[in-house]
Amino acid sequence: MQDKKVLIVGGGIDGVNAALEKAEAGAQVTIMEKFPTLGAERIPRDRLIQPDDAFVNPDLNKVRNHDSIQVLTYSKIKKVSRDNGKVTAHILKQSLRVDNSKCNDCKACIKVCPVNMFDDFDESLSFRTAVDYFNPATGEYNIFKEDMPVCQQACPVNLDIRTYVGQIADGKHLDSLATIRDRLPLPGSIGRVCPHPCETACNRQYIDEPISICFLKRYVADVELNKEIEPVYETPEKKLPEKIAIIGAGPAGLTCAYHLARQGYENITIYETLPVPGGYLWVGIPEYRLPKKLLQREVDLIANMGIEIQYNKRIGKDVSFEDLKKNNDAVFIGAGCHLGLKLRVPGEDEYEGKGIVDCVTFLRDQALGNPIDTKGKLIVIGGGNAAIDSARVGWRMGFDEVYILYRRTKKEMPANPWEIDAAEHEGVIIQYLAAPVEILGKDGRVSGMKCIKMELGEPDASGRRRPVPIEGSEYVIDAETIVPALSQAANLEFLGEDHGLDINRWNTFDIDEETGATNIQGVFAGGDVVTGPDIAIRAVAAGKKAAEGIHEYLRSK
Amino acid sequence: MIYEKENRYIIPFDDVPSPRAEMPEISVDERRGNFVEVETGFPENMSVQEAKRCLSCRRCLGCALCWAECEPEAIDFSIPDEELDLEFDDVIITKGQDNAFYPIDSKLGFGSYADVITDIQFERMLSPTGPTDGMVVSPLDGEIPKRMAIVQGNPDSEDDQILSSLILGVNESIIALDRTKELEVVLISPINQAFKEQFLSEAEQVSGLKMAGGAPDSVERKAEGKPLILHYTENSQQKDEPFDLIVILTKPRISSEIESLSRRLEKSVQ
Repeated sequence: MQDKKVLIVGGGIDGVNAALEKAEAGAQVTIMEKFPTLGAERIPRDRLIQPDDAFVNPDLNKVRNHDSIQVLTYSKIKKVSRDNGKVTAHILKQSLRVDNSKCNDCKACIKVCPVNMFDDFDESLSFRTAVDYFNPATGEYNIFKEDMPVCQQACPVNLDIRTYVGQIADGKHLDSLATIRDRLPLPGSIGRVCPHPCETACNRQYIDEPISICFLKRYVADVELNKEIEPVYETPEKKLPEKIAIIGAGPAGLTCAYHLARQGYENITIYETLPVPGGYLWVGIPEYRLPKKLLQREVDLIANMGIEIQYNKRIGKDVSFEDLKKNNDAVFIGAGCHLGLKLRVPGEDEYEGKGIVDCVTFLRDQALGNPIDTKGKLIVIGGGNAAIDSARVGWRMGFDEVYILYRRTKKEMPANPWEIDAAEHEGVIIQYLAAPVEILGKDGRVSGMKCIKMELGEPDASGRRRPVPIEGSEYVIDAETIVPALSQAANLEFLGEDHGLDINRWNTFDIDEETGATNIQGVFAGGDVVTGPDIAIRAVAAGKKAAEGIHEYLRSK
Repeated sequence: MIYEKENRYIIPFDDVPSPRAEMPEISVDERRGNFVEVETGFPENMSVQEAKRCLSCRRCLGCALCWAECEPEAIDFSIPDEELDLEFDDVIITKGQDNAFYPIDSKLGFGSYADVITDIQFERMLSPTGPTDGMVVSPLDGEIPKRMAIVQGNPDSEDDQILSSLILGVNESIIALDRTKELEVVLISPINQAFKEQFLSEAEQVSGLKMAGGAPDSVERKAEGKPLILHYTENSQQKDEPFDLIVILTKPRISSEIESLSRRLEKSVQ
């Protein structure tokens, strides 16, 4: 065929060669690359070379000057669909901000540019200024403007941190909050609980200490709260009719609903098993870290966009997953991970519910005001944030003494270090290098736990040194309540049988990372139910991504 | 403090180090028996002060210094992005220039030691248009290495991956040895049948290159200023040797955006 149109994705040497080959064969070729220029010379991987003939150069000049080849560099596909054998693509070609036909390569710009950044083309082995050429072989200049600072890149939802922190510096606190809400509808909650990967990346740490980004986010959310301003989240005038069901009112589901409502969808229903919103934020994060009143307000602001939240509605019991799928145009699953894992030691099953409570149940009971017997001592087993939270909750509730048992040392503990310090500060007794052996009971109730001391041996697959029991070092702690806080898993029973969804060996969903789509058309998933127990901001990011995926899916239907 | 001069923010260097704001808390005595929020939040003056510590490190800051300096007026911030709607009869998806790779065992020290680099970085270093004009230097101190190791980062990979990374390792050694006086290169990787049959005898004739079978265990630096110590196994023998530069052979991986595109179009990556 004479006029066959071919899109080549990727401007590396393979793409360049494919483009030339197709163009020589008479096709009209478009070659697209996300970096500002086409590829570099490469060393062959299929034959041995001679030192004077070491690199294979892609013929960039030929590609750039070929009549039948269109080169789109610094470009990305925003939308793509396939219909009747034709592929339609919506491509964004970003501006280089330099008119290279005028540039005389005098390098005056490089001399004055104050920005120093890793050179991606040199695989970060060197630095460049924001204005520079990307590929020395083409000498084509560009300005890296749209890329993000390190903090924004490290943030799972890519919050525009530089802007909102700058707005605080300028005293524009409510503008700062608006900047945050453009991507994150729960600033007050996340500003309290986030382990802030942005601060870990912050460049300020190389001068003294990172910026306290997370607490600044909390600050602007608190400004609005303290001034008793009740904002209205805008939705567009043009409404969209499709029905969307969301399973779970946690950070993923709420964020997904928020971004869909901002697109104009007005038939969004969130189904929530619990009588309260927020998912793990409500029933897993204790009140002393995140006041319920504040969380409720942030949820109300989202619900006021015209989103219905049905509480006490368990999918698989009150409504079947099948019906939900049939009666809606799209479904988002953000069910979280609410199953506490077991210790697997003798006595555990025997005393289940008679002094043994997993951490998810323990924290949930406290959050919902269910009765908890606080007589005597409490032992929490585990080293994650849920273990620390359970212990600090137990200490507040009035247990006589609270222990945490962790089989490695403080250094290996996965919980946030500042939470560990706070627990120790409050008087929680953390026994490092100790593990449970057996649950002891008397008169049908837990009476204590046999433990064993550990030492660190060889590193295991995760690179952490494996704890090994020290023979003959068993000892007993008396306790009336024992809370295993090992890890959490997803409970997918609500799907029923024959749901047809791809589920992997971790009992979570396999999804398309870019869109949140599962293998079943119209069904999307995100948050802990996909990643396993993870931080809230990543669930927020997944909810936002899925909202974009759902919108794209519904509009192209 | 940061001040403004002619619409530009100036950060006086002397004032730069200023400590991070500490979150105020209620005392431990106030916490027992209740669930009152522990952290009470920054007051306004503290927040503004903390926010002013931000260095605003975006890539281009929009300062327009380059624009002011550019004589031929080539720099133009107003050149807009373009959005194109295009239709195609066929799509070919290739890996692109992403050079993503599978994670490397943290014991090999990549990311911890500046003189442990990947094969892709080394390829760039050897390139005549690369950051060192093709010279082999240690990114740690800029010194020219005397002994370097190229080690297999994924010894359990499938056969053709081992083969192509072995070829790349030998090719990189050939270029490095040609460019560098008195260099010694040890290549540590399982050597598979395909390589043995087609390339091994040729590789063994490269002067300065030693082909060691086996696999690397770990990399450490005992003290600052000392060379890296590589622990590795050769012929089931444990060895510990010093090197000035270590290159890890990586296993290429398709980036998640390309993978997603390939899934949506039901087209495999070439």
